[in-house]
Amino acid sequence: MPLVELVNVTKRFGKITALNRINLSVEDGEYLCILGPTGAGKTTLLRLIAGLLEPDEGEIYIDGRKVNKVPPEERNAVYMFQNYALFPHMNVWGNVSFGPIIKEWDQKRINDVTSEVLEMVRLGERKNAYPHELSGGMQQRVALARGIASGARILLLDEPFGALDARLRVNLRTQLKSLVKDQRLTAIHVTHDQEEALMVSDRIAILRGGRIEQVGSPQEIYTNPKSIFTISFVGGANFFEGVVSRVNKFGSEIELRGGLRIHVSDRSRNVGERVVVAVRREHISLGKSRRRGFNNLLGEIEDVMFVGGSMEYMIKLENDMTLFSRTLLKGSSTPLRRGEIVIISFHPGECRVFEYPRRGLLKEIEAI
Amino acid sequence: MAWKIIGINLSGIVISCTLIAFLIFVVLPSFYLISYIFLRWDEVWYEVFANPITGDENWRQIIMILLFSFKLSLSAVAFDLVFGVPLAYVLARKKFPGKNLLEDLVTLPLVIPTSGFGFATLITWTSSSGLSRLFGSTRLLSMNTAIPLINVPFILFIVHVALTFPYLVRTVETKIQSIEETYEIASRTLGASSLTTFRKVLLPLSIPGIFSGSVLAFARSLGETGATIIVSGVSTTASIAIVRWASEFKLSTAAFMGSLLVLIAWIMILPVEIYVSKNRRSSWRHLHIPTNLSMKIIKFERFLSRKLSIVKDIVPLIIVVILIIIPVVVVISSVTLYWSADPYTGRVEGGVVYQLFGPSRYLDLILRATLTSVIVASISTYIATCISIPLSFIIERRRYGHVLRTMLKVPLIIPTSSLGLSVLLLWGASGLCLVNSGIWMIILTHIVFSVPVIVESIIAAYEGSGVQMYEETARTLGANAYSAIEAVSLPLIKGGIFTGFILSFTHSLGETGATLIVMGRDTTIPVLVVNMVEALAIPAALFTSTYLIVLSLVMLVIIRILTQG
Ligand SMILES: Nc1ncnc2c1ncn2[C@@H]1O[C@H](COP(=O)(O)OP(=O)(O)O)[C@@H](O)[C@H]1O
Ligand SMILES: [Mg+2]
Repeated sequence: MPLVELVNVTKRFGKITALNRINLSVEDGEYLCILGPTGAGKTTLLRLIAGLLEPDEGEIYIDGRKVNKVPPEERNAVYMFQNYALFPHMNVWGNVSFGPIIKEWDQKRINDVTSEVLEMVRLGERKNAYPHELSGGMQQRVALARGIASGARILLLDEPFGALDARLRVNLRTQLKSLVKDQRLTAIHVTHDQEEALMVSDRIAILRGGRIEQVGSPQEIYTNPKSIFTISFVGGANFFEGVVSRVNKFGSEIELRGGLRIHVSDRSRNVGERVVVAVRREHISLGKSRRRGFNNLLGEIEDVMFVGGSMEYMIKLENDMTLFSRTLLKGSSTPLRRGEIVIISFHPGECRVFEYPRRGLLKEIEAI
Repeated sequence: MAWKIIGINLSGIVISCTLIAFLIFVVLPSFYLISYIFLRWDEVWYEVFANPITGDENWRQIIMILLFSFKLSLSAVAFDLVFGVPLAYVLARKKFPGKNLLEDLVTLPLVIPTSGFGFATLITWTSSSGLSRLFGSTRLLSMNTAIPLINVPFILFIVHVALTFPYLVRTVETKIQSIEETYEIASRTLGASSLTTFRKVLLPLSIPGIFSGSVLAFARSLGETGATIIVSGVSTTASIAIVRWASEFKLSTAAFMGSLLVLIAWIMILPVEIYVSKNRRSSWRHLHIPTNLSMKIIKFERFLSRKLSIVKDIVPLIIVVILIIIPVVVVISSVTLYWSADPYTGRVEGGVVYQLFGPSRYLDLILRATLTSVIVASISTYIATCISIPLSFIIERRRYGHVLRTMLKVPLIIPTSSLGLSVLLLWGASGLCLVNSGIWMIILTHIVFSVPVIVESIIAAYEGSGVQMYEETARTLGANAYSAIEAVSLPLIKGGIFTGFILSFTHSLGETGATLIVMGRDTTIPVLVVNMVEALAIPAALFTSTYLIVLSLVMLVIIRILTQG
């Protein structure tokens, strides 16, 4: 039985439908990321689960019990604000012991639990400090400790790394995940950072405009995106607009602007259909010779960018389309130079074909 | 589950009790005043429009007095705007030594009892122990020296400016502080001079604040009673007329004038509330200035920005000194001057000591009045606090909260004498007949304006400290609605509650206009000052004013410490 389950949940604010018929279940002990652009409804979803909002339609279950009308304090789900909302008038000890005291445990148990949890997040020494005296990372640990001490089984994390600087963020990701796993907690973690989601979660739910686009493991989401939006939001890709001109038993042929043709393995589309073909940057290779069994196009290097361990090239095709290719930087190879003419190759099997979106391609991939 | 059922009922009970208390104590009086006019229209008609002897003399007087009041208030607000907006900008944006002190000085007239302040200004400008000491003549001005053009007595004008100045400055200052400085920085780095930046960026954004500040200042001036009654001389303003008519038992005429003022207050506050709540950026967009003219203005502003930046900083400061500090200093120094005898005639009867301890025994009166004032201020502030705390939560949490908040603005801007009159009519012999004039009715009156003062202070603390977020966190950590409020929200807004309490206490100590009408035979300190001035017991009045001013200065210091800690 899933620990948290949402069935057809809808939430409106006046005319805005923030969440539209959401179905989602989270297993006990799972680390789920909800990934989506700003305004997608991520915060709203978390607040519904926490009990800070009530759904307009649909049901929410925790541990099999319908909790639509159950107040937040009876859900064992602790909501963590982006800035952690440590009570400013209490010190670390006061914050962490808040849950146990409120729940009227006996004094010994309160002390034991509080000091144990504080040790766990390595903050036993700072128990008398006030929140404003702590660094961002420490504040986050206090907030986690506070949630754990309150006996919560579900952590609801709203952009937990949003308030931290980039380097710290990466370090803390793994820390957070191992803490959650060690304590056998269930985490629902909201973020708009695809890299963060891919790195920490067991499963990712892509949320967009109040609807869930796709749910799956990070690998599934990356390798088998179900929509143009997902592929562009997670990882990004090159998009070719075109029309299916032929379908045979090896695949289909797509005709692009300016008469260019490419082959894809996908055979599910009909001749004459308008489609979008997506190819990831790292699946596009650049060379001096044509590769057998690949699509080979001619292009000119317009720009060269150094991105950490790899090079990213911006290339202009014969039909004036621009595309990007990313190649790992190896010791021996010399990077290509601007103005060079190259052959661009990609395998038909790496091409993903989508129906042409009704509102246009640009609108679809805009991270709204 | 059980506590939940109780809990729901409990919150229902708390909310309804609070709302009922709020409606009865705060809102009902001013509504009653207006309905009084309709209920007793015959009487009003007879007294105001169709008196067998004087005809519509009263009506013609009402019109004249209203026109005079409007002229006075409009000119005071115009003056406030010209000098208050730059001062607000300086206070909001600049850091300089003594800034806190300047802020306190500007706020002083909000805290100082108005009758004491009025008396101080009067002494400063018209008596031989005031400013004329510096210039060597016996008196600088007469009480009725008028300002040319607008034909408003000078003393009356400067008292109204001093008393309304803080409302405008503080409102605009708060508004400017809420505007991010990045816009100005952007404008400056794009090449606009400071003056151009002010006109094109800051001013349009702070229009709502300037609007509501002006309305507040105008309303204060229209309703000012305590100082006006002392400095008005032969002129009569609307609020003074109400006091006079009420004391002459011309209740219908007073009620008619009072409800006119209440209506004016409503008519002013509603559009501004709607305008401000819509939060429109600027309605100046359609004001189109031709490009070449606009270029000239910008050039001129660049020139002025360089030349005038000091003037802009200094002039408001001088005004603050002249209008506020000098009177306070003069009154305090006069007490020492008059301590043992009248310095000019040398008569002991004209000294402070003689008047306090001599046969007229003013000391006894002062002590009695102090007792009354402290009892009134304590009880009314306590009751008002009890209503205000739950009321603030309701305002913040419920969808109808903003309606309540707008209703709360009314007691703040209706003339205090109208307020006193409405309480008198509602609770007194001609209304519900529950309370007689005297200390209990003073308390009822002071509750009316104390609730808005405390609520505003609590709400400021509430919104400033992100209470909602902390409370929600507490809920998800296992606290129910009540323990979350107890353990998290109340401690977070504690400062706001204390500040509101002290503000309201101070306000109550200094209130004159409403108290004059409802006091019966009990006397508070500010009213005593008015009585002493009327009895021409100047040394005693000097002493009592000083006493009052010092008392409220102590309060101001307490507020400072509280809001900084
Ligand atoms: N309390 C609210 N009142 C009105 N609209 C809201 C409220 N909370 C959220 N919304 C709207 O719902 C949508 C989703 O918001 P939110 O859940 O905060 O998105 P996210 O956290 O993904 O950025 C947005 O369009 C937002 O404007
Ligand atoms: Mg959000």
